[in-house]
Order: sequence, then structure tokens, then C-alpha cells
Amino acid sequence: MHWKTLLIDLTLMPLVAFVVGLFLVLMMRKVNARIQRRIGPPFFQPLYDIVKLFGKEIQISHGLWHDLGIVMLIGGYIAAEVLLPVPGMVGLAHKGDVLVLIYVLMVPSLGMALGVGQCANPNGSIGISRALTSMLAYDVPLMVVIVGVAWHYGTTSLPEIIALQQAEGVSGWGLSTMPLLALAGIISTHMMLGKEPFETYVAPAEIATGPMVEMGGKYLGGMFVSQCFQLYTAGVLYTSLFLGGGENWLSFLAKVFAVIFIPVSITVVFPRFKVGEGVAFGWKWPTTIGLIGLALVFY
Amino acid sequence: MSTLDLLLLVSAITVATPLLIGNTRLGGWAMTLLYAAQGGLLIGMRDLGYGGQPIPASPGFMVFGQQIHWAYDALSWFFALITVGSALFTAWYASGEWGARYRRDGYSLRLLHTAMALNVFAMLVLLGSADLLSLFIGWELVSWASFLLMAVRGGPAVQPALRYIVYAMGGAMAIMMGLAMVYIQVGSMELSQIAAAAPGFSDGLVWLLILSFGVGFAVKMGLVPFHLWQAPAYAETPAPGSAFFGAISARMGLFGIILILVKLVGVAHLAGMPIPFTFLSARDLLAWVAALTIIIPTYTALRQHDARLLLMWHGVGQGGYMLLGLMVGSALGSAGGLLHVFNYATNQLILLMAVFAVIHRTGTADLNKLGGLVARMPLSFLVLLIGIIGLAGIPPMNGFVSKWMVYRSLIAEGMPLLFVASVVGTLGTILSVYKLIHNMFLGQLRAEHAQIREVPLSMSLPMLVVAALVFLSGYFPGVALDWVAAVQAGVGLPVIAHTLGGVPLPNGGLDMIWVVSLILYGFAVGALIFFVLGGRSTRVHQLDNYAGGHFLTAQTRYQYSNIFYPGLFRLLSPVYRNSFVWLEAGLGSAVNLVSMGARGLYRSVHPAFYILAGFVLTLAWVIT
Repeated sequence: MHWKTLLIDLTLMPLVAFVVGLFLVLMMRKVNARIQRRIGPPFFQPLYDIVKLFGKEIQISHGLWHDLGIVMLIGGYIAAEVLLPVPGMVGLAHKGDVLVLIYVLMVPSLGMALGVGQCANPNGSIGISRALTSMLAYDVPLMVVIVGVAWHYGTTSLPEIIALQQAEGVSGWGLSTMPLLALAGIISTHMMLGKEPFETYVAPAEIATGPMVEMGGKYLGGMFVSQCFQLYTAGVLYTSLFLGGGENWLSFLAKVFAVIFIPVSITVVFPRFKVGEGVAFGWKWPTTIGLIGLALVFY
Repeated sequence: MSTLDLLLLVSAITVATPLLIGNTRLGGWAMTLLYAAQGGLLIGMRDLGYGGQPIPASPGFMVFGQQIHWAYDALSWFFALITVGSALFTAWYASGEWGARYRRDGYSLRLLHTAMALNVFAMLVLLGSADLLSLFIGWELVSWASFLLMAVRGGPAVQPALRYIVYAMGGAMAIMMGLAMVYIQVGSMELSQIAAAAPGFSDGLVWLLILSFGVGFAVKMGLVPFHLWQAPAYAETPAPGSAFFGAISARMGLFGIILILVKLVGVAHLAGMPIPFTFLSARDLLAWVAALTIIIPTYTALRQHDARLLLMWHGVGQGGYMLLGLMVGSALGSAGGLLHVFNYATNQLILLMAVFAVIHRTGTADLNKLGGLVARMPLSFLVLLIGIIGLAGIPPMNGFVSKWMVYRSLIAEGMPLLFVASVVGTLGTILSVYKLIHNMFLGQLRAEHAQIREVPLSMSLPMLVVAALVFLSGYFPGVALDWVAAVQAGVGLPVIAHTLGGVPLPNGGLDMIWVVSLILYGFAVGALIFFVLGGRSTRVHQLDNYAGGHFLTAQTRYQYSNIFYPGLFRLLSPVYRNSFVWLEAGLGSAVNLVSMGARGLYRSVHPAFYILAGFVLTLAWVIT
């Protein structure tokens, strides 16, 4: 790999992810508002929020790992974005496959868990306990989906999965060839985003926003940035696995926004599951659908 | 005199040394140096790890016309390196303040060091087995040496140790049976001759070998359903012994399984043996045993509230990944399984050393009585953090590489359900290790721990060195993969094609040099954003905290730790039915009943009953 390409990929891929993520956050808040018959925030509001939080005069730290946790949270996502191919940029996706990506995505979660842990706030700890429990709920169906897709295309390399889909057009998309896995995938994506009814670990009325309870200023700002990354990553991963990735930036962005539109538009009408109910749902519905889809792929 | 002779000699000297100076101040350091000498000799034999010719040992003798002798090949060398390395770092850990405290508490350091050295010696002998008799001798030595080390402290350690020795003797009987069967079939105990005859073994004989050797070795490895003894027995051992056991001891069972079922019988042979009335083969059966060994002990670990037990249960579970990888049988899978032996050993070493460091300072490993120690013991926290990242198999640590290889091979070979099973195990591990680090080091610092200090350098330095090893062998997995490839060639498995950074595959490979560098780059950018773009932050006291409207004091125990995952356990607790504990108790009762009957017979405690029974039988015979 030429060092110039590498440098461009390393800088641009996370940057693009962040900017697209800002728009995804904007879309989420707009959709939410429209369903509640409000106008919603202005165009630059997500960016204003981050700038404001980073610029706060009073920043409260509960210790070194409170800080480093947020660094790991942001840093882990930045690393993950370079493993996620987009039109015109492959990044380091040839050096680590989709399994590597999934496990690199656990680094930011771990960072957040460490940071929140050091805050010594029970609500934060409860939040992490619930977040990890819900990870157990959505990662099982997600892995069923991944193994199905990998077996179908005979590769775990994301650029190859995308190329194989694009070679056959819409009929070659994972969505057309593996509809059940695609269904299980979108449900796990929804669960992964932690939106209602799966937002057990935020639960403002119950545990005072859980992991965010001791976060303010740049700490909360870091979490805001990571939310942008999270929405983007979920959308792009699903697009790459089932919607043929991006032929060009226009179709790519349209697909990513369409994917994220599904969870953010249905989330608003739901109340919240109990923690155990969320796990039971994850293991019952998306996993069963995924396993049937897996059986169809294999036999 | 070959290097192997020298190694065994130095190892024997290491056993004798603590008998003389074990209780002195320098005893521990002398042991450390002797283990280092053994390590140096192993490094002198490094050709074995790169495809060199096996090195024979000079001593040997004849029994009933059978040659008993020893030799080292790549497999022996790889396991020996991990064994001696584990002993070196644990002995170092125990040399300074830890050892002094142990002696002050009235225990015998001499006994502890002798037992440790005896374990290392026994393992080195076992690993050199060149025939089935030397294998059996080594096996018995290891079993009894382990028992000695487990029971060395007395008190609560004795019961689990006795339970272990019952299991171990049962396993040894099974191995003895297998040994006899092979001898009847082949007419020789020599491994090379058995290997030559092995392709002609009938399926029936191989099934019997799985049942005898397989079960015997599975006991040591703690495979389901023989997993109950291991965690309590290892957890109650004194710190260096416990860390040593956790890192390598159970892997002797894996060594045996590799020797008999992989090297002599071969995975392909196992895969060609269908189980009647099912669509499974013998290999699938073993792979599913491995998968159950991943899941059941891991979710048992999730319920523990003693840090040592939690880690030891994970140790049982991690053995499953090794066997699973080997049973996949492909170059990638078996390399992953073998590499995990090394990676896991390094992870478990630092995890246990960090936990025992906390015990050293606070006197407890109870996860409900600790918390917030990151502020007081930052180095131990860092070591434990690196360890849990490795154990959970998250990049950038080495545990990820070996687990990735196992996952990737399961996908490549089309075993999706085993893949999902292994991922379920990994997720359970992540939950469990976060609970470990949270309940010990994060959350609220208890008032009684407010003044404790970090452990001294004699304890933290070995931890830090191994922690660096965990990171570096994750950054450059190719170094250990060289040795793994030599082992694969030695036991007849397909050999993994690898680079320094990992495994290049045409359809989705791994290059850890890039991946780890990328993660470090991400952290650097993250740090830049956080520390440069954000305003300056001020540190506050831990009680300066949002608590829903009332003030917090040190007396308010709000630490949320007892059952860390209540929502999950509301769902899962019906699944925990302790079936295996029940089964073990049932077997115990049955044996008790039979032995009561037998004792009654030879002691004639019920003569009237026997006369009556004899009379009735005679009557019945006369009438009919």
C-alpha cells in the first residue's frame, strides 16, 4: 500500500464517518421530532452540541481511567472506521476481516465501561451491567448473521463481500439472496444501537441515563462523538453485508441513511423492555430467524 | 550429554535445592535463577521450535523387553517452554515480599518451592515421553506432584486436592487400560512403532482409545463432564502454585490428547468414524465436547464471587477453545488451538498474579468486599486489564489472535453452530471478566482500603514483564506461530502459512501488526481530541457524585456488585440446575453403597443375614 493512500485513508475515513454520523444523529432527532409533531433541532445542532460540550468551563474527572476510558471510546471507533470500506477507500480492510472489525468494535465499549466504572456511581455501574447484558443479547444473532454471510460468499473480507454483491447487481445483494439473515441483521442492528425498546442501559427515568450519569463537558462530548460513529458503523456494516455496499457515494449514503432510518423511526413508538426481556427477545426472535436463514444458506 | 539431559538434571537440582535453602531469604531467588537456567537450556534447544530433529535423552532402561526412554520434539519443546516460563515468573513473584509473608504466616516455604519444582520436573519428564510406559510414568508423577502442591497449605485446600486425586486415579486407570489395549494390538510400547501401526487400527479400537486415553486425559484437562474438580483445587493453592497451575498444569491433558488422538490416530481418522444413527463423526463428538467445555464452565465462572474461582473456571473453559481448534483439524484451526495454549498461559499468569497481589494487600478475593482499588494499585489494575482483554479475546492482546484463528477456521470449514457456540462462550467471558475488574478495581473504594499501597517491585515486575509479553505476542503473533508450525509438522497436522503479523488468507486474513498499529493510531487521535480540544478537567473525590438528591458518605455502601448481572440471571438461573454436581454426588453415593456392602461381606457383620440367604438359596436349589 502506498503511504499517501494510507495517510489519506487514515485521516479521511474517520473524518467522513464523523460527518456522516452527525447527519445521522440529525436525522434521528428530526424523525423523532416529526413523529411527536415537533419541528426538531436546526441543521447544525449536533455539531453545536459537541462544540459546546468540549468547550465547557467546568470539566469533572473522577480519575485517570475516567479520562482514558473516553480516549479508548473515541479511539476504538476511529480504528474501526478504517476497517470499514467505503466507495473509493478500502483503508486497512485487507489486513483485518469482518470478525476483526466486530472485535475491534468491542474496544470502545470496553473503554466506556472502564471510564464509567471509575466514576464510582452505582447508576453508571448498573448501566454498564445492562449494556453488557444487552451485548450478549444482540451479539449472538449478529454472529449467526455474520457466519451465514461469510459462508454464502466464501470469504470474511468485507471488500470481497461487497465486490461479489456488486458483480451481480440487486439480485446478488445479501438482502435478495439471504432475506431471513437480512431480517435478523436489521433486528440485531436495532438492538446494537440501544434504541427503545432495547435502551435498558440508558433508561433515564430509572438509572439516570446509566453510563452517562457522571459524564459532563468533554466526557459527554466524547460520548456524543462516539454516538455519531456508532450510527455510521452500524449503517455501513449492514449496507456492506446486505445491500451491496456503495457503488458510489450517492447510492452509498442513500443506503446507509435508509438502513438507520428503520430503527430510528420505529424506536419512538416503543416503551422499554426489562433487561431480561431484551435478552429473551434477542435469543428468541432474531436468533431463531437467523438460524433458519443460516440453515437455508448451508443446505 | 545432550542438552535435554542437562535440562532434566538442572530440573532435578531445582527440586533438591529448596530442601536445603528453601526457607532462607535467598531460597526464592535461587529457585528463580534455576528456572531461568532451565529456560536458558530450552532456548538452547530452540532448533526444535523451527523444525529441528528430536533430541533424545541418554538415560533409559529396559522393563520386560520394553525400552523406556525419553526424547524432546517440537511438541514437547513448545509445552516445556510454557511450563518453565510459568514457573520462572511465579517463582520470581514469590521470591520477595510474598515469600517472606508466607513464611511469617507459619507456612513452609521449603515445602512450597519443592512441590513447585517437583511439578516442573514431572511435567518435563512427561513431555519427553517417547513410549507409552514413560508416558504413564510421567503421568503418575504429574498427578502426584500436583496433589502435593495443591495440598501443601493444608486447611481448606485438602478437600479439593483429595477430590482431584480421586479423579486423577480414575483417569490413570483409564489410561492404563488404553495402554494395555495398544500393547495387545501392536506388541510394542514404542510411540514410533505404534504410529506406524496406527493407520491399520479398526474403528472399534479407536473408539476404545478415545474412551480410555481420551477420558484419562480429559480428566486432567477438565473437559465436560470431568470439569468439577479443577477450579476449587487450583484456586486454593498458594499464589505461585495457583498461578502456575492455572497457566499450564491442565494443558498436560491436552498434550496427551495431541499425542494419542492427533499424532497417532489423526484427526482425519476421527472424522472418518461415523457415530451410528446420527450424522456426527467421532471428531464432531469431540468438537462438541470442546464447545460444551467452553460454554458450561464459562457460565459457571459468571456466577462466582471469588476472584480466584472465577478465573479458574475460565481456565477450564479456555481449554475448550484449544481442543476445538485441534478438532477442526485444518492448518488454521489447529494452529489457533495450539497458539491458544501459549496465549492463554500468559493471560492466566498475569490475571492470577494480579488477583493474588490484591489478596496480598487486602487479604480477600471476595468480589463483594473489594472495589475502587485502581486508585491505590494502578499497576496491578493495568496488569489485570491487559489480562482480561487477552482472556476475553479482544484486540490488541494475544488472546484475540488464537481465538480469531479458531473462529475463522470454523467458518472456513463450514461449522456454523460450533462457531456460534464458541462466540457465546466468548461473550460470557467478556461479561465475567468485566465483573472481575469492576468489582475489584472500579467502583467505590472502601474506607478500609483507603491507605493500602501497590505491591512491591518483586511482585509487580514479573507481572509487568508477562503483561508486556501478552501485548507483544499479540502485536507479533508470528514469533509463536513459528513454533506452532513446527509442532503441527511434528504431529502430522497441516502446517499454517503465516507471517510475522499473522495469517494472510486470500479470503479474509489477519495482520496484527497493522491492526494493533491502527488501534494505537486511533487511541492517539482520540487522546488528541480529548486532551487538546477539550477544556482542562479537575479531579473530584469519589463521593462527590450524583446520587439522586442525597449526600454520600463513606458509610453508604452503594457499590453495585453482588450479583452484577441481575437481569440476565433472572433469565438464566433456571438453566443452572447443578446437574453435574448432582451426578458426581450420585456416583459418590453409589460407590459408598457398594463399598459398604463389600466391607460388610469381609467383616461378616451380619452373619445371620448370610446364613439366612444361604439357607434360602439352598432351599431354592433343592426344590427346583
